[in-house]
Amino acid sequence: MTTMTERETQTTQVYQVFIRATPEAIWEAITKPDFTARYFYGARIETTPERRVSHGPDGSVWGDDKVEEYEPPRRLVHSWVSSYDPELADEEPSRVTWEIEPAEGGVSRLTVVHDRLEGAAKTAEHVSGAGWMMVLSGLKTLVETGQPLTAH
Amino acid sequence: MEDDDGVFKALADPSRRLLLDRLLERDGRTLRELESQLEMTRFGVMKHLRVLEEAGLVVSRKVGRTRLHHLNPVPIQQIHDRWLDKYTARRAAALTELKTELEGR
Repeated sequence: MTTMTERETQTTQVYQVFIRATPEAIWEAITKPDFTARYFYGARIETTPERRVSHGPDGSVWGDDKVEEYEPPRRLVHSWVSSYDPELADEEPSRVTWEIEPAEGGVSRLTVVHDRLEGAAKTAEHVSGAGWMMVLSGLKTLVETGQPLTAH
Repeated sequence: MEDDDGVFKALADPSRRLLLDRLLERDGRTLRELESQLEMTRFGVMKHLRVLEEAGLVVSRKVGRTRLHHLNPVPIQQIHDRWLDKYTARRAAALTELKTELEGR
């Protein structure tokens, strides 16, 4: 009784994960390059109240985006251009919102919304599903255990 | 309760899997849209959505005056990581060993 499904690429994508950590620890893992290098495809991402700059493991610029909202440790909003791929880099900027909320029992809820993807169809396809999932899953493992996921 | 318990419980019901299928086709849907796609009462859809939300498989967000429901695949990814990572790592290791052996001849 499996139904075949034709999946549309979403112009608003929502990902959520519960992490056994304080909002402060999660904020640090999101904004400090030494942490991001261990779960964000090896990218060293530095986030300041003004900009979010990402460098790939080879030192090339993977992203240089404007930070729109910077409210540690609860909310970060920045634009997104996939500068790591020339074809994607030409698309319109989209937007990424990180929301961190404390939940019960020492757990925090991290929600990532990637939206305004109307002018960035290829980016939307590229980041959808596995793209963000691997990042969030890796972030959770790193923050909870101090270890990155096993490298394949 | 372990995180996974809620996920397995939520997935154990065919109506809830059907709701996830509908969201997989296109997510960011209202309760009304989901209702019209299924032979289920509004109350039934709401009840199932609540279980899915508690398990983290559905995330709902208010946009203006409407509430939109999104499929959240991360908990399923975590189940994958828990049991399948080991096998993908082992397969990669086996291939490396095979390569070394073949090249060593």
